[in-house]
Amino acid sequence: MKIRLKLYGTLPAHYPGLYPDSGLIVDISENTTVADLVERVKLPQEHVAIVAINGMLAKAEDVLPEGAEIKFFQPLNGG
Amino acid sequence: MQFLRVNMSTESVQWENVAEEYAILGGRALTSIMINNEVPATAAPLGEENKLIFAPGYFTGTSLINTGRLSVGAKSPLTGGIKESNVGGTVAYSLARLGIKAVIIEGKAAAGKYFCLNIEAENRATLISADALKGMRTYALTKKLQEQYGDRKSITCIGPAGDLQLLSASIQSTDLDGRPCRAAGRGGLGAVMGAKGLKALIVDRQGKTPIEIADQDRFQKASSAYAKAVRADEFSGQILPEFGTAVLVEPINAAGAFPTKNARSGQFAGIDKISGETMARVIRERGGKTQHKGCSQCIIDCSNEFVTEKGDYVTSSLEYETIWAMGGMIGNDNLDAIARLDFLCDDIGLDTMNTGVALAVAFDAGYASFGDADAAIRLVEEAAAGTEMGRIIGNGPGAVGKHFHHDRIPTVKGQGMAAYDPRAIQGMAVTYATTPMGADHTAGWVVDKNLEAFGGTVNALEAAGQVEISRNTQIHMAAVDTAGICDFAQSGLATAEGIENVFTMMSAKSGQAFGQNDWTELGQRVIKAELAFNKMAGLTREDDRLPPMFYNEPLPPHNVVVKVSAAEMDSTFNFLRNDS
Repeated sequence: MKIRLKLYGTLPAHYPGLYPDSGLIVDISENTTVADLVERVKLPQEHVAIVAINGMLAKAEDVLPEGAEIKFFQPLNGG
Repeated sequence: MQFLRVNMSTESVQWENVAEEYAILGGRALTSIMINNEVPATAAPLGEENKLIFAPGYFTGTSLINTGRLSVGAKSPLTGGIKESNVGGTVAYSLARLGIKAVIIEGKAAAGKYFCLNIEAENRATLISADALKGMRTYALTKKLQEQYGDRKSITCIGPAGDLQLLSASIQSTDLDGRPCRAAGRGGLGAVMGAKGLKALIVDRQGKTPIEIADQDRFQKASSAYAKAVRADEFSGQILPEFGTAVLVEPINAAGAFPTKNARSGQFAGIDKISGETMARVIRERGGKTQHKGCSQCIIDCSNEFVTEKGDYVTSSLEYETIWAMGGMIGNDNLDAIARLDFLCDDIGLDTMNTGVALAVAFDAGYASFGDADAAIRLVEEAAAGTEMGRIIGNGPGAVGKHFHHDRIPTVKGQGMAAYDPRAIQGMAVTYATTPMGADHTAGWVVDKNLEAFGGTVNALEAAGQVEISRNTQIHMAAVDTAGICDFAQSGLATAEGIENVFTMMSAKSGQAFGQNDWTELGQRVIKAELAFNKMAGLTREDDRLPPMFYNEPLPPHNVVVKVSAAEMDSTFNFLRNDS
């Protein structure tokens, strides 16, 4: 199954040319979690602080549904 | 260092030695404690008894990076309580290097009289008649004053909104390029300045007064380590220079916490048109600046310069809170219109946040459709012109709600909320409700703890744990705002070694021992003074509540309401109240 992964902030700069604005299509197996995906794309864990699945905030153990749009965000600081 | 007291009633200035009790204070501690000591809490905010105090932070003027913050304090005409709003630019550093610990504006100019205060080296300060400048917008004003007094001046001023004493009036201050685009926006302090009859502070930027530091070597070592940590941190070292605070737009929306259309939803359909990533791309494509240094001593460069398609300057700096207030909150997904509204607010001297919320309430009440950017621009222009509707908008969301008999007014203590819906990030409900400042995000920003680590170290949609993190953050921030450290340079003190550097610098500068307990006591002392003032001013625990909409209307997409109870709200600062 496939999901679409979009990186935000300066995360795409870690992978020049790899992440188009429309996102990267990633093949995953069933029951892949948010934490699995972070590991799979080999992003340093401390660089990903917030993950959204289909526009909703997700937790590390949440399973990715087929065709989902996943967004990775970096740690934030005050507004 | 010295205090400069200016009496607008008698048109006189006086230099004063700093009393012992104020020696180790700066910034917010100085403005709040002094106001609590000197201003009768029942004073009319726009009357003679109120005082307007400008105070650089305790570290401002030293070699420590990112300490160019100026606290401005007074009794607020918007909240009816004490107010501190701080601003960057060049003024705080300039005042500190002139040896000035605070400028205290007292009294009120005689009817029809208006002044600028010219502050120069060697204890020279003069009130200059400025009757002809009343009504002038800030960009034209600063240009005129720089032509007249030279471009090595920092100018802190009000625009037409302050002249009209509108309750959302800001105090604008010039950045390193001399543009009046940095704002002490909150609490209507521009109206206090206008009521005093003071159009502008003109401050010499070439002061050379050394800042007294008891142990220079020790200070320098800690200050270098601090700067290194800020550079090394990903957020302050890489993300802010690239996107500025606008990087928050997408993740806060993803969290369902981006107040949209007067906080009817936590997600905005047009989010990708106004995101930080989009803003940075548009600025780059048009030849503007995504990275721009706005403030003295800054090494982060979070500012930007937004330009037109032709590359002409529109505004600096387009920030997260303004993108929300003039974007999602009013249903507007046109980034050019947001930038135009940001410029207009700076030029007219209006708080973008309180004004955006005021517009949102007007649109919600049916005055115009959400997303009608032309109506927003027209209304902001009307505020400058002082028309009846313009005054209503310029007096903020409460005034708009009263005018339209509309009951969805997202304010606390009369001040418009910030860009985090308190239903989707319940820690912000505690901060908005309990800070003595009125709904305010910088007083206790707990968004990170609610969202990071894949969904927060506390549950953003529940009350559990929120009071404690808001309380601790508010106390910490009161100390940060006293030191004069920029919010975005907090990466330098986020670790145990980092905060230890700050304690070392406090100790090295003051010559006294300083540790975590002193830091916490300092923050508590500030909030205690603010709570005491507010109590005497007539504010009660009932004022530490959110408006009914946040308790009664579930916010999509999470469909939750604020769950923090009144008793929990009261438990935040009960221990700092005189009557507990």
